[in-house]
Amino acid sequence: MKLKGRVWKFGKDVDTDELFAGRFIMGGDETSQSRYQEFIATSGLSDVGQRENVPREFLTRVEKGDIIVAEENFGIGSSRQQAAETLKFRGVQAVVADSIHRIFFRNFWNLGCPAIDLPGISAEFETGQEIVINLGRGTIKNLNTGKEFDFSLIVPAWFIDMVEAGGLIPYHKSRTP
Amino acid sequence: MTLVEKILAKKAGKKIVKPDELVEISVDRAMIHDALGAHTIAKFRELGVEKVWDPSRIVVVLDHYVPNKDIDTAKKCLNIKKFVFEQGIDNYYEVGKGGIAHQVLVEKGHVLPGTTLVGVDSHTTTSGVVGAFATGIGVDEMAVVFKTGRLWERVPGTIKINVEGELVLPMMSKDLMLFILKRLGISGALFKSLQFTGSTISQMSIASRMVLTNMAIESGATNGIIEPDQKLVDFLRTRTNHSFELMQSDLDAEYVETLEFHTDDIKEPMVAVPPKPSNAVGVTEVEGTRIDQAFIGSCTNGRLEDLRIAARILKGRKVDKFTKVIIIPASQEVFKAALGEGLIATFVEAGAVVGPPTCGPCMEAHMGILGPGEVCISTANRNFQGRVGDVTAEIYLASPATVAASALKGKISDPREFFQEA
Repeated sequence: MKLKGRVWKFGKDVDTDELFAGRFIMGGDETSQSRYQEFIATSGLSDVGQRENVPREFLTRVEKGDIIVAEENFGIGSSRQQAAETLKFRGVQAVVADSIHRIFFRNFWNLGCPAIDLPGISAEFETGQEIVINLGRGTIKNLNTGKEFDFSLIVPAWFIDMVEAGGLIPYHKSRTP
Repeated sequence: MTLVEKILAKKAGKKIVKPDELVEISVDRAMIHDALGAHTIAKFRELGVEKVWDPSRIVVVLDHYVPNKDIDTAKKCLNIKKFVFEQGIDNYYEVGKGGIAHQVLVEKGHVLPGTTLVGVDSHTTTSGVVGAFATGIGVDEMAVVFKTGRLWERVPGTIKINVEGELVLPMMSKDLMLFILKRLGISGALFKSLQFTGSTISQMSIASRMVLTNMAIESGATNGIIEPDQKLVDFLRTRTNHSFELMQSDLDAEYVETLEFHTDDIKEPMVAVPPKPSNAVGVTEVEGTRIDQAFIGSCTNGRLEDLRIAARILKGRKVDKFTKVIIIPASQEVFKAALGEGLIATFVEAGAVVGPPTCGPCMEAHMGILGPGEVCISTANRNFQGRVGDVTAEIYLASPATVAASALKGKISDPREFFQEA
């Protein structure tokens, strides 16, 4: 499975309060998927512009299929899944970072979006470059520099099927007898 | 194997597990609360199953928005209550019956030694205090746990945190934990487990130990855990009739790292400066910093011993005229005991507002939200930028003693001056 996209470079310590502030947690009507997605997408990263670790123009210019390459400690903090959902609903298809915190890591995969931790990877990318992630082979390539990097993931073997199914919920739904 | 490895091996039906091995474990307890409960339920409905795997293993606690603050919040809590009725879940804590989930889980004996607990909250690690594997997960995974009672986990290698020496008031377990976090950093235990041992931990109350397991997550740890001892057994005997198995780390267990600490090295009360819980400095370094709000409470430090120490400092004194002082017991049980001991009267007489048991201004949920540029000193666990309101507000983390002393002066203050006679 290959993912290709345009890079957004994030800094270090992007925490879950930054990704999705506490004041929005009780908003969003879960009974309507379209309304819920709209709310989650537009409520996330509400303080961009006052933070140094997320590019100012990210919210206005992010497009479907983009990939975030971040420095260390991405997704640190809370279990709120909205922190992962807001990136997905904005169109982000994968996150690559020097390190990713456990609950965010699981949450993002569970939405059908790969989260890949590889120490040092952030130094190899700049915003706007093209990235290709080959999940099967375990490689990340920077198409602009031509450099390729190997990664190994500690995730269950069924994760690839889960991503292909569109996430944990659709994956389990398809397995319901 | 270490204690956490033994629990995970047992729950995965394996003889032995190794760090970073992937296992599928059975879940003994699953907790949802009001902040992410309705979200979990919506995901569970998407799975298309009618009934949860075992309603007796689910605990539902309303704690973030107590009492409900607006229509959205009330609606979500109604959804949760409907689900509780529909699924026949007995372990339900309505507003006024429980308190903060992590406190309630331990206080009501819902988590037993050698078992597994998952919750839709990162501070679920708190319950590791009883020698259980306790960790946080997202709502999609909780929906699947509700369906299957199972969860995959990457076995965390264990970092042994050995602490020797005595903690003398006003030094508290919070000061120790901020000191430990300074050394570990915010990712120092990522995908690993923290096991707290040593004479300092043995001497600590269960409440003090909960501060350590609660904040284990602030080092990125999967879980925090403390081996059961007689003190824990005595505590649990008053909390549950269920029998439990006492497991310990093997004598030849392999730790990925052992970190030695001595309380003598903690020279003064610690304060974590914004925006990271690992940014600890001695209180004298930030003494005099003007504050707008002081908060004593949360799943980290809202227990009876925390309120007692605050009352000891506040008794017969008045808090600063321009400082908002908020004190929130972690549970109804703590609240009632504090009432009985006269602590609540002391707080009110000192000029503090006392709130009903709830998460309060630990996060940007409901109460005590900060405005632009405001500074808060708090006994909670996180001080990320924008955590409790405006992105320009600042949060300092400290012990209940340090926060109480600061409340009196309206600036960050050293609590030791209130303990000189002792």
